[in-house]
Amino acid sequence: MTAGGAEAFPLRWVSCASVRAGILLGNSFGLKAVAVKTGTRLPIVFVIPSMVVLGVLALVPTIDAVNIALQNRELSNPESHYVWLANFISLFGDRRFLNAMWVSLEWEIITVSATMIVAVPLAVLLFEAITPRARNALCVLFIVPVLLPRVSAAYVWKFAFHPLYGLAAYPLKIIFGRPVDLLSDPHTAMATVAIVDVWQWALLFSVIIVKLFETLPRQPLEAARLDNARTWEVYLFVAIPMLRAPLISLIFVKMVESLRAFDLIYVMTRGGPGVATETLDMYAYSQGFIESGRISYASSMAVLMMVATSIAFTVIWKCAR
Amino acid sequence: MIAQSLRQVAARATIGVVAFLVVVPVLWTLLSAFKHTVDIETSPPLLLFKPTLENFLYVVERASVRGALLNSIIISSSSVLIGAVLGLPCAYAVARYPTRHAADIQFFVLSLRFLPPIAVALPLMVIWLDAGLYDTRIAMIVTYTLFTLSITIWLAIPAFKRVPREIEEAAFVDGYGAYAIFFLVALPVAAKSLIGAIVFSFVLVWNEFLIALMLTTSDAKTLPIVASELSQLGFDVPWGILNASVIVLALPPLMFLGVLSGFLNSFVKRKV
Repeated sequence: MTAGGAEAFPLRWVSCASVRAGILLGNSFGLKAVAVKTGTRLPIVFVIPSMVVLGVLALVPTIDAVNIALQNRELSNPESHYVWLANFISLFGDRRFLNAMWVSLEWEIITVSATMIVAVPLAVLLFEAITPRARNALCVLFIVPVLLPRVSAAYVWKFAFHPLYGLAAYPLKIIFGRPVDLLSDPHTAMATVAIVDVWQWALLFSVIIVKLFETLPRQPLEAARLDNARTWEVYLFVAIPMLRAPLISLIFVKMVESLRAFDLIYVMTRGGPGVATETLDMYAYSQGFIESGRISYASSMAVLMMVATSIAFTVIWKCAR
Repeated sequence: MIAQSLRQVAARATIGVVAFLVVVPVLWTLLSAFKHTVDIETSPPLLLFKPTLENFLYVVERASVRGALLNSIIISSSSVLIGAVLGLPCAYAVARYPTRHAADIQFFVLSLRFLPPIAVALPLMVIWLDAGLYDTRIAMIVTYTLFTLSITIWLAIPAFKRVPREIEEAAFVDGYGAYAIFFLVALPVAAKSLIGAIVFSFVLVWNEFLIALMLTTSDAKTLPIVASELSQLGFDVPWGILNASVIVLALPPLMFLGVLSGFLNSFVKRKV
């Protein structure tokens, strides 16, 4: 799901219009293009199987998640009965859950904003300061981090941050005169994991934004330059407003993807030190799987996440259009 | 003039630093995968050393890694294949036969990406346990099809829209039926972008971690899970072995770097 969102809706109208134009054109040439659209059951044959499969695969777990969340099911205990909202009520008295909610929110804000703050200026630099050939080469290089499996990326950086023999920790060791373990300090752990996330996503985004700059018409930018605008002013007041819609889509994509940080956190800190980097999915995982096998309790967290993200993303998606 | 060239130098230096930050950690991991443990556990970090293949041999000779590699290949490619076989026709129909529901279908497919993976994994764990299919490749393939199918549809719709309508109309005039137009015209013309979409869905499930972690315990474990477990060998983290496994795990997605970079280009370019 890269820049997926940006085009769908405007393009839909364009394509509707072009269909109508095509029909008119087809008729006038006697092609009866209409028949291509209507005289076949192809849409039904092609669409229904996918929708049935997706519907079953998405709805069954979703409904079951709600169902499980209303019970008191545990992995170790086959007996269970309905406790209705008891799990949800106890969640809000659970300080570890409240902490996880806060950590998730913090993670979301840090990674989304840091990604954009790094990606946009980097894209401007790539567009302004180097030759197109060098730019194209770097654009290939910069998507390497995001292609790495997150487990790989997490280990690459966990190794780099290793207090004793890590490459990134070595300068710190010289500066502070002692080994510095960024991942086991509650004050720096979150930021350190976020660096890896931004390393993966900001570089991909800078590549996408450069390609977006390349598609812009040159005249408005040159007009701004002739009016003695500085480079940063040209971008801030002309180029970026012109790319408002795709940039919002990118932010949206990053918000959705930032929720999938489990693997990164699992490998790098396991939610630690203490609960400093324990996000909601991390806590739900440890409740449902590791520590106590309280599937129902974990499910109730998952359901809350599902409801919150579905509402938030649907609202944002519809509003941003 | 001087100020301008100074800015140019600063800008290039910044880009250089970023490129350095991309290359060096990965390269360092690669180098360390060829190091003996003594050469890794030294400070300052060692650039010249006697290389060894020990780590890679250890990784590829481990039964658990081989099993996981086979699982990953079977699970990823099966779910990608199912996603493509079901998803490409669906995307074509949505792109070419716009109805009132086209937008709804697109939003539904997109909204599947909003589902937190944990909210899918937890109930599926229960469902597969009850069905007696927990920790099997079948369960993983079916689960992953949710992701490959939705992402394939989402990415293939624009690819089919880009096929010039005139070509399909010409085929219609030549007496091609609707299905023949799809198989013999639209599919080959859009092939390049479609391959990009399919590869993307492959990378997505190859890299997937949380769901595999919760839905497998031994028989159907995928490579990311086994790689993450290598850090628990003995009491000390065997960084050489770990680095070798990180490289092995990352190779398949990186093989597709060229395809995906081209796909990204065409995807962004068309938009404006």
